[in-house]
Amino acid sequence: MNEELDSQLSAMFDDELAPGECELLARRLSRDEQLKARWGRYAVVGAAIRSERGVRLNAPLAGLVSAVILAEPALAAAHGARRTGVRWWQPVAAAAVAAGVAAVSVLWLRAQTPLAGAPLSAHLTAPTATVPGAAVVPAASAGSPDSYVVPRAPAVRAPVVPSTELANYVVAHSVFSSPVTRRNLLSAFMTGESGSAAEEPRDDAQSNVP
Amino acid sequence: MSADASDLSLVRRVQRGDKGAFDALVLKYQHKLVKLVMRYVRNPAEAEDIAQEAFIKAYRALPQFRGDSAFYTWLYRIAINTAKNAVVSRDRSPIEYDLDRNNEESYDMQGRLKDSETPEGLVLTDEIRSTVNAAIDALPEDLRTAIVLRELEGLSYEEIAAAMACPVGTVRSRIFRAREAIDRRLREVFEGGLGRAEELG
Amino acid sequence: MLRAMSRSERFVALTLAWAVAGAALADERTPAHKTSLESAPAQKTSPDQAPAHKTSLESAPAHWLERMDQALTTRNYDGTFSHWHGGHVEMLRIIHRVQDGTVSERLVSLDGSGREFIRTGANLTCYLPDQRTVLVEQRPPDESLVGFPALNDQTASFYDIREVSRTRLNRRNTHVITVSPKDEYRYGYRLWIDDSTAMPLKTQLCDTRGHVIEQIVFASLTLSEHIPDSAFKPEVSTVGFKWLRNESAPPALAAATQAWNAMRLPPGFRMSARSAQTLPGSTDPVDHLVFSDGLASVSVFVEAQRREQADQPAVPESATVGSSSAFSTVIDGHKITAVGEVPPDTVRFIANQLKAQEPPSVGARRP
Repeated sequence: MNEELDSQLSAMFDDELAPGECELLARRLSRDEQLKARWGRYAVVGAAIRSERGVRLNAPLAGLVSAVILAEPALAAAHGARRTGVRWWQPVAAAAVAAGVAAVSVLWLRAQTPLAGAPLSAHLTAPTATVPGAAVVPAASAGSPDSYVVPRAPAVRAPVVPSTELANYVVAHSVFSSPVTRRNLLSAFMTGESGSAAEEPRDDAQSNVP
Repeated sequence: MSADASDLSLVRRVQRGDKGAFDALVLKYQHKLVKLVMRYVRNPAEAEDIAQEAFIKAYRALPQFRGDSAFYTWLYRIAINTAKNAVVSRDRSPIEYDLDRNNEESYDMQGRLKDSETPEGLVLTDEIRSTVNAAIDALPEDLRTAIVLRELEGLSYEEIAAAMACPVGTVRSRIFRAREAIDRRLREVFEGGLGRAEELG
Repeated sequence: MLRAMSRSERFVALTLAWAVAGAALADERTPAHKTSLESAPAQKTSPDQAPAHKTSLESAPAHWLERMDQALTTRNYDGTFSHWHGGHVEMLRIIHRVQDGTVSERLVSLDGSGREFIRTGANLTCYLPDQRTVLVEQRPPDESLVGFPALNDQTASFYDIREVSRTRLNRRNTHVITVSPKDEYRYGYRLWIDDSTAMPLKTQLCDTRGHVIEQIVFASLTLSEHIPDSAFKPEVSTVGFKWLRNESAPPALAAATQAWNAMRLPPGFRMSARSAQTLPGSTDPVDHLVFSDGLASVSVFVEAQRREQADQPAVPESATVGSSSAFSTVIDGHKITAVGEVPPDTVRFIANQLKAQEPPSVGARRP
């Protein structure tokens, strides 16, 4: 074993190698199985010293990942079909938000077309036909629960970027939510992350419905 | 020098189509990722499956990685999401995140796992650990101190140099020689002896 | 060399410990979160803060919902929970305390945005580190705890409330209560309510097909006698942040805006509150109407359209905050924004029903 090379390997493993040398060593590392094996053992040494409970030191994990990746198209070739990543929580009108709420005229990113069929402007010009086909009880009377025509639920929405203005409304409204529903509202507002889709939670009580 | 130059040089190679470079990233971070995932699933075998899935997701998402954050930070987030999604889609209530560390009925008194690994796997992990320990015991003190400060305390070479009152170059050399000595013994476990340890290539 | 010596000495000592016990050296145990739900007695609330509504609902399931509301608003608790929506899960922590009649509350995202929401008495503060902004909203000091919707007889007309089973959840006995809406203007709920404390250990929000679209599950929960003030201090550093506050003296409803109201509402919705306020960062008066069916509520904010926006075309916009919905439009030169824990069509419907009425005579203002 070339001692200088191994010394560089050790330093690179610790993020202590100059960037130029990293480039060169990275190329060798990717091709030299013995060098790679040594690198892998460096990781094992660290994990053994830290003595992490439950973590296997001889797991076949790396080999399995390698096998899967070998079967995939090389990333450079996949560049043409790149997904557009959604950057969550990035202010759309970043400068405007920073400049102050008063200057923001765009509240938030518009989600995709909410109602199938009915253009939005129809709501403004024909208020009596707001919801297609709905038989709505005027606010004044109590109304009977017999015949509701349900408004059609929109398709799944694209994620939107909340702005400071929306935050104001959410916070002001939270005081008037019921105790259980306000947790949903505020929790959703507090969180903000990007991630891949998950399966839905199981509807646990289904089997229990009488 | 950039703290992330090492990872970035590998990431760039992967982004240009060099799959072997990704192996190096997996080897470096696999234990950390499994340990992270075990915050969400206690079963180590399941944790390894999830970590594996996270690495593969990371590989596929690598074209979108711009270097805005450190690579490990980015990988870490993918692992957390993968772990959580796995928990949520299980057939049990997600409340089994179980942050209550007192609830450890799966562990015997010496902190080793029962019935969640094959006996061979358990033995081999133990053997690896004790091999490393013995090798470290046998090291000259300055080499031992250097490697422990690096791996256990996570100090940079500069910080270790300050602690040991020696030049950075000496730190680098001591750590390297410590690893060499340990590796000599470790190779026997991986390549000879039981011959069951997994290695790439 | 001294520091290094002690470290390596420590290492040697620990190596011996390893040899003997194989114990983990780097034990990163976090402080154990208690999953016990010890019952601390509910905090006494002063009489004017006890829920003022009377209900004649005798049925047990609705009674559980009332007890749950009571627990959520009057008990002291500190818990962590997972919030699932749209394929994403995050962990949050909630701390809630009622002390000497004052409500303190803190909600913080444990991973991800780092946002925090803190309420201390009449002050609501929202920390948005991702926007480097802090919103401070001061509510009227005499606003009681009972701003929230109350279940009433009417509510039962629009929701079907049942107890479907009892199950054990995380070693606690719970009642599983379903609240099924009778139309698509509102959401349904499935609640796992703890038998002993009435806290909702698990909450599912469902659309009318019964599909779960949002879920909150407690991972740990402690009800305690005493929670220190320090628990309600934010963790985020606000150096360099922009602070936006509202005017502490809310404008009178009178001359600034005409009286607005909804011409129609979805079945079961009624105006449940009305106030005039300003929003953080602005001095413009805002008319704030709240409509509720006893469980879900929708706030509608009416603001005079700002001069610089007047010549822009009215663009209705919608947004979602988890399962909650928001919709904004312009009517008669005023910006109307509706926000609530209801499906998107409901907020849009309500917002579009807003209309300015002739100013009524003085004294006939509040409902």
